[in-house]
Amino acid sequence: MLDMITDFVDFVMPVAPHFILLIAALIAPAIGMKSGKASAIFMLAAGLFALGVTGYMMYDGGYNGRVFENLYEFNQFTGFMIVLFLIVLCLVVVMSYGSSDNKKHHGEYYSLLAAATIGMMLVCASVDLISLFVGLELAGIMSIALVAFKKNDPRSSEAAVKYLIISGLSTALFLYGMSLIYGLTGTLNINEIVNALAGQEITWTYAVALVTMIAGFGFKIAVIPFHSWAPDVYEGAPTPVATFLAIGSKKMGFVVFFKIFLLLFVAVRATGEIQELQWLFAILAAVTMTVGNVVAISQTNIKRMLAYSSIAQGGYLLIVLAVASDYALVGGLFHMFTHVFMKGGAFIVVGALCARGLSENISDYRGLSRRAPLIAFAMGVFMFSLAGIPPLAGFWSKFILFSAGVDGGTWIWLIAFAVINSAISLYYYAKVVKAMYIDKGTTTEKVKVSFNFKFAIAVCAIATLAIGFFPGPIIEFCEFAVKAFIP
Amino acid sequence: METGGIEIPFLILLLLIPLIGAVVTAVMSKKPKRAKNVALLFSGITLAVTLMYGYLLSAASTVYSDSESYAWVDTEYLRISFDMGVDGMSILMILLTAALVFIVTIFSRYESDRPNTFFALILAMEVGLMGVYMAQDYFLFYIFWEVTLIPMYFLISGWGGPRRHYAAIKFFIYTHVASLIMLIGIFMMVFEASAGGTLDFTFAAVKEASIAGIFSPVMQTALFGLLFLGFAAKMPIVPFHTWLPDAHVEAPTAGSVLLAAVMLKMGSYGIIRICLDIFPDGAVSWQPALIVIALVSIVYGAYACIAQKDLKKMVAFSSISHMGMVLLGIALLTELGIQFAIFQMFAHGLITSVLFMVCGVAGHNAGTREIPLLGGLAGRMPLFAAFMMFGFLASLGLPGLVGFVAEFGIIFAFFEYLQTTPELLWIIVFALASLLLTAGYYTWAMQRTIFGKETTKIDIEKVHDVSRTEVLALTALCAMIAIFGLMPSLILEVIQTMPLPMGVF
Repeated sequence: MLDMITDFVDFVMPVAPHFILLIAALIAPAIGMKSGKASAIFMLAAGLFALGVTGYMMYDGGYNGRVFENLYEFNQFTGFMIVLFLIVLCLVVVMSYGSSDNKKHHGEYYSLLAAATIGMMLVCASVDLISLFVGLELAGIMSIALVAFKKNDPRSSEAAVKYLIISGLSTALFLYGMSLIYGLTGTLNINEIVNALAGQEITWTYAVALVTMIAGFGFKIAVIPFHSWAPDVYEGAPTPVATFLAIGSKKMGFVVFFKIFLLLFVAVRATGEIQELQWLFAILAAVTMTVGNVVAISQTNIKRMLAYSSIAQGGYLLIVLAVASDYALVGGLFHMFTHVFMKGGAFIVVGALCARGLSENISDYRGLSRRAPLIAFAMGVFMFSLAGIPPLAGFWSKFILFSAGVDGGTWIWLIAFAVINSAISLYYYAKVVKAMYIDKGTTTEKVKVSFNFKFAIAVCAIATLAIGFFPGPIIEFCEFAVKAFIP
Repeated sequence: METGGIEIPFLILLLLIPLIGAVVTAVMSKKPKRAKNVALLFSGITLAVTLMYGYLLSAASTVYSDSESYAWVDTEYLRISFDMGVDGMSILMILLTAALVFIVTIFSRYESDRPNTFFALILAMEVGLMGVYMAQDYFLFYIFWEVTLIPMYFLISGWGGPRRHYAAIKFFIYTHVASLIMLIGIFMMVFEASAGGTLDFTFAAVKEASIAGIFSPVMQTALFGLLFLGFAAKMPIVPFHTWLPDAHVEAPTAGSVLLAAVMLKMGSYGIIRICLDIFPDGAVSWQPALIVIALVSIVYGAYACIAQKDLKKMVAFSSISHMGMVLLGIALLTELGIQFAIFQMFAHGLITSVLFMVCGVAGHNAGTREIPLLGGLAGRMPLFAAFMMFGFLASLGLPGLVGFVAEFGIIFAFFEYLQTTPELLWIIVFALASLLLTAGYYTWAMQRTIFGKETTKIDIEKVHDVSRTEVLALTALCAMIAIFGLMPSLILEVIQTMPLPMGVF
């Protein structure tokens, strides 16, 4: 009996973090019946436990491998992404603690969050397009329910319907591309697909398959021109859910891109045959960051501004696919990691202030430095980090990401674009800081923020500063992940 | 460096003391006058440590050279270390920074609007400036370069004149875009130098690659151009200068002084330290263009001064002209040219501080800086008039003062350089013409403001002379201008110990 259990544990070990969350997701509603706060604490504990297990598995290195007939795998890269998503989950749980958005249904709320996280983690762990699709749908459907969570708020419902339609369209496109790929290669295993495609000439079917997949995921990561849902959904969804979408599920889309396209580019690097596709990504990157940044300038609603800034940050990450080098992926993963804290922190600040009655209008942030000095300071750190001001975390990750593009010389124009965009973005980030520090507010009444928000903000701010001063370990962490990812 | 058997990390201290000072000033109690005294204390300690460091360096050896290195990021793909070091040029700029921050703190003692933040920003500024002048790693250099931007942005937009927001954002965007272009240049340079291996951002690694001939002449020309663009906008050189008059006119006096006296020098420092040193071939191919834009800056800056109605805007344009002089000295690529360019950086730092303080006093004590509204102030403000005259005369190159030595040296170096192509000797007319123009606009401005009939356009009864602390600050600067003008060898000896950049023949 004991042998069977240990055998089973050994067998499922590569997907242990998923299992832990799954069990937690099933228990959470039951706890939620009694007390919403208890279920939040339970979910946080489960998230941290899963984080610890993943950390141990990565440190030990003996749990790498594939399970369930080569459907899922665990390696340093998967571990890295799982850590990232679990951090997102924990931040969002802390942020939602005691929230009034979900008064009656705390348990389900945390359960949905955990399930969406499991979906994202499954996508990272998938080696097969079918299992990847299952993870994708799990994350997608849970997210729709989460967006609709403010049941009495028409904006929330509107956002959910929008998100539903977009999700449906995007998965349909993805499925279409997937079926074409299956027809072309006769397999759904990603590694085999990449090997099969790498040896092929570009035909119409091939091109259509890849382009539909790009379009399908373009929706998920809000690449221009598939972006217009993002600001509406972020604005309408409850702030914690918007946070979750912005810092969590977008990254899942990028992982899919990395898994299919980056590996493909790397496989054909020697022959250089897919240059056209890399150019497509380069153009998408340039357009996405430019439109995102330029439109963000004119936003007065801070959530919409953050949404457009997220679009722009997505554009920066697309550089990885255009450049397609190991070093670029290090930069990409690092930027994803820092983005969790800086963008997450900014969203948490917005959520905290909304909970205290400030509107989402940037003009409401005037004079905040006197009303809530520490919160304003943290927001300043996040804004400057997003803009890439040294020595904050965002500067380092952009630095590595952009510097990677200079190698070889082909993509210097793209890096010039990115750098100029970085300068443009400073304008609207600085606008928030200016509102908080320089403009005089209408009132000087202190804003008291509840403890859970303070805690989450402090974690993000400290992480942003600490990575800024000691980026070495995280960069090395990313390098390990990249080594496991790119053979 | 080691002294008396004890290892003292002076360079780190010079960053830490003002940093701690900035934090303490920012968070300490908001009681009036407290912040000023604390800021004064910290900038005073920084100055004392800097002086001691300079003395110990000169006692230790004949070359002012020292370095400190701390590992920061050392992974397979990337190596960035906290490398710092000084040589003849750096130590001079560090001394200038420490001295001017201290003097500015004395001068601004009466700042009553949010003094805590104000002085914290000035000290934060000092950290950035010190860092730029001692960085020995491109990453570090870039970080400090950008760090100086933020306090200056807030100083202008928080304590400036009526159009301060416009000026601050213009200043920020101009210099930020320029430094991003420079960043691309740095990326390309480091990638090229590391040749597929670990990206090593240290000065030493790139220099080694440059000596080994890794940069092709075409590459050198391109990279020199990219980096020069970043530096030129900071200096600023025509046509990248338009942010400067706006920023100066709107900035508070302390901001103006630091901006003109030490921040602009970051540009010329970068050209000498990086462009000339790493890309000798690039320097040669750019040389004619550099000389032309230097001359354009000199003449245009001086010419624009004549038309200015605002005293401070006039001084700002004169800065463009004088920084053009620095670029001219650099562009000659001769030993003499470089040394006097550095001397001019130092001299201009001292002189322009006096000028901006005088402008600040005029704006504050007389109520306006508009030249047409002023006149005959010498009667009401004798001390002010004396300082103004001293500053203007020093700036126009009166023999015996520090500005004369610098400009004389650069023009002499130019003359020497033109000896190789005697048919182009007439070009020197442009450099000389600027001296005439400079003398012209300064004397004319003096005539219209402090001499002549007493003005009736402002409330003359409210006009009062400089205060005691302002006199103290101005006297200290004027004394330095006179001392180094009479004994320029004090400074030149330090400059001469600097190892010449590779691009200088």
